[in-house]
Amino acid sequence: MSVLNIVIAGVGGQGNVMACQIIGMAAVEEGWQVSAADTFGVSQRGGAVMSHLRLARGRPYGPLIPAGEAHLVLGLEPLETVRVLRRYGNQQTRVMVNTRPNYPLAVLCGAAVYPDLNVLREAIGAHSAVMVEVPADRLAAEAGNLVTQNVVMTGALAGSGWLPLRLATFERVLASLFKGAVLESNLRAFRLGVAALAPEATAVAGV
Amino acid sequence: MEKKLMSGNEAIAYGAYLGRVRVAAAYPGTPSPEILENLVTYPGVYAEWAPNEKVAVDVAAGAAYAGRRALAAMKHVGLNVAADSLFYTSYTGMQAGLVIITCDDPAMHSSQNEQDNRHYARFAKVPMLEPSYSEEAKQFTKLAFDISEAFDTPVLVRSTTRISHSESIVQMEEPPSPTWEELPPYKRDPVKYVMVPANARRRHPIIEERLGKLAAYFEGLDINRIEMGDPALGIVTSGVSYQHAREVFPEASFLKLGTVWPLPVNKIREFASRVKRVVVIEELDPFLEEQLRLIGVECTGKKIFPILGEFNSGLVRDCARRGGLIAGEAAQEAAATAPSPPLAAELPPRPPMLCPGCAHRGMFYVLQHYKAVVLGDIGCYTLGAAPPLLALHTCGCMGASIGVAHGVDKAGCKDRKVAVIGDSTFFHAGIPPLIDVVYNKGATTVIVLDNRITAMTGHQDHPGSGRTLAKEPTVDIKIEDVARAVGFQKVDVVDPLDFKATRAIVKEHLESNEPSLIVARHPCVLYAREFKKPYQIDPEKCNDCGICRRIGCAPLIRADGKMAIDQLLCIGCGFCAQICGRKAITQVA
Repeated sequence: MSVLNIVIAGVGGQGNVMACQIIGMAAVEEGWQVSAADTFGVSQRGGAVMSHLRLARGRPYGPLIPAGEAHLVLGLEPLETVRVLRRYGNQQTRVMVNTRPNYPLAVLCGAAVYPDLNVLREAIGAHSAVMVEVPADRLAAEAGNLVTQNVVMTGALAGSGWLPLRLATFERVLASLFKGAVLESNLRAFRLGVAALAPEATAVAGV
Repeated sequence: MEKKLMSGNEAIAYGAYLGRVRVAAAYPGTPSPEILENLVTYPGVYAEWAPNEKVAVDVAAGAAYAGRRALAAMKHVGLNVAADSLFYTSYTGMQAGLVIITCDDPAMHSSQNEQDNRHYARFAKVPMLEPSYSEEAKQFTKLAFDISEAFDTPVLVRSTTRISHSESIVQMEEPPSPTWEELPPYKRDPVKYVMVPANARRRHPIIEERLGKLAAYFEGLDINRIEMGDPALGIVTSGVSYQHAREVFPEASFLKLGTVWPLPVNKIREFASRVKRVVVIEELDPFLEEQLRLIGVECTGKKIFPILGEFNSGLVRDCARRGGLIAGEAAQEAAATAPSPPLAAELPPRPPMLCPGCAHRGMFYVLQHYKAVVLGDIGCYTLGAAPPLLALHTCGCMGASIGVAHGVDKAGCKDRKVAVIGDSTFFHAGIPPLIDVVYNKGATTVIVLDNRITAMTGHQDHPGSGRTLAKEPTVDIKIEDVARAVGFQKVDVVDPLDFKATRAIVKEHLESNEPSLIVARHPCVLYAREFKKPYQIDPEKCNDCGICRRIGCAPLIRADGKMAIDQLLCIGCGFCAQICGRKAITQVA
């Protein structure tokens, strides 16, 4: 594989950009060519957001992943995971998804219905090879801060063995990004994510 | 030296720092704000938020006149505001390098249009450089200062959202000295710097001559690079399109243009002579394509690649297949039209929305209640246009709201109407139209939604926030004082999360026949982070009337067929409790 394409999907405010930055920085430290593209601005106000992250050896790739070519999808929200999979997924795509829903405006005002979680699971299955569910809200609460759900998910991806990056590298990156109590809660969140995935990761490693 | 992952904006700031920029000014507009936010962190650089882009370019021009390298940065439409200043600096030139960064937004991720600012380079007769990734963003910005001084011209550097907000690897370099060199006495040269007609007439031929010299210099510059591959296909491209095209056509020959104005005409002709077919791949307008045609180079561009939106490698590949440049079926298109496995449910769309607890919601709820026509402006509050609030009816550009409202009023429209503008937007372009309303005896009501920060672009300070870009305390210019100073007599301040007070004041202002202004003041919840105990709904008292759903606040959800409040999302603003007729909503003890 000449390039590893990772899509991170979620809702503005969930920390998509931070998750992308942590993985990207870890990859740079391990000598990968990295290009990443984030959604900023108007979209961050509770809108659908997406980051593209591409790791390559040799020459760098452009910042955007072509449709149907995601190898990994890190889903911070189930509905948004389905949305990006329908565009970027394929039968080989591996998916890690936070199961906590976040309701869009149309659902809140009663103009639309949030799909049943089983329907979303089925849709994820139709556009991927492997799906792993992570209760990131529960683990983030355990880590002491609900806003660390993105770091829990990053930890889960790091612990899955799907990324060619070492856990120690991630922890060094976290230490360079945060200080004091914030670093402590992020490290806890990251490690809980890793631990949540470790057994399942061994199971799918043979896939 | 080490390598670092940087966004294009970080790399532009780093390049400016390496280029020994001393003074920088900007108004934050997506996708550009991170340039100044990064630049201010470097030693030996003075950087400030200006109230608008025109002021930013004037400040940078002044510094460059005085002999310091200077930079101004803005989003694409910001250059419309700053255009007057761009044009005079083109005529005057400067004593030290002046670089203006324009960040275009193809696909309008966060903008009102997708104008192509390459036209400004041609229009103002100044050079423009266009990097393709972060390392070039650094190099080109640094180089732009040298070009500016060598040719006595402001230099435009054009980024786009996918350059500014994409991250790639940048090579770190030796830091320059942070010590400011002593300035010579101010150089008084009125023939060069006082653009009265007689002097401007002398300057114009110099500008024309300058363009010729720049074109000759760009011919030999290595950032305009021929990369020979298979001569069957020659691709002329620049900016982010280069990356997409390189991915799709690994074998083809490329002319990668680092300077998009003026063009290295001879190099283009040479490239065209070495390949069988020339194809231009550029986002937005056929800017390069038209110039190639003008110099007699036969080429294809917009017949194959769209004029709308932004590119990605998948789209470029599909267009190339449809246009017969490469073999195979257009895969993305096939994927899009092929029956994707059907979903057992519709996927509801997720547009951006006002945050939980956002105080703008309170004012829009009241305006909706009075069925007022709302002439709007640019900021987070533009989201008030979306359902269920539906309380904003125009939005054109920064500062347009007040003038448009005055025009609606002078046209004799009898509907209740108000102008709604944010605090940062008010300082940007809201004051001259405010003066117009008073001066021309209008009766417009202006509502300034003052959340104490430039929220939408990521919480940048402004003249009313009490802090500078460097986070130093400074004067806090009160909007109500500005309104009174220009002659508004009816001025009130209200907290828009106080429903009854807001309703009463808005009613009073709508009924008055004089110019009036309301400052609706409540700090942005994301910035102030005043999280209080969440609220809850008593299912016994709730009769499911649906009123609370009309404010479109994310924590108010349906759970088991009833209204409920998501305790994790609610920040405890209490607005919903005030509008609930059944008193069913209370704060968690």
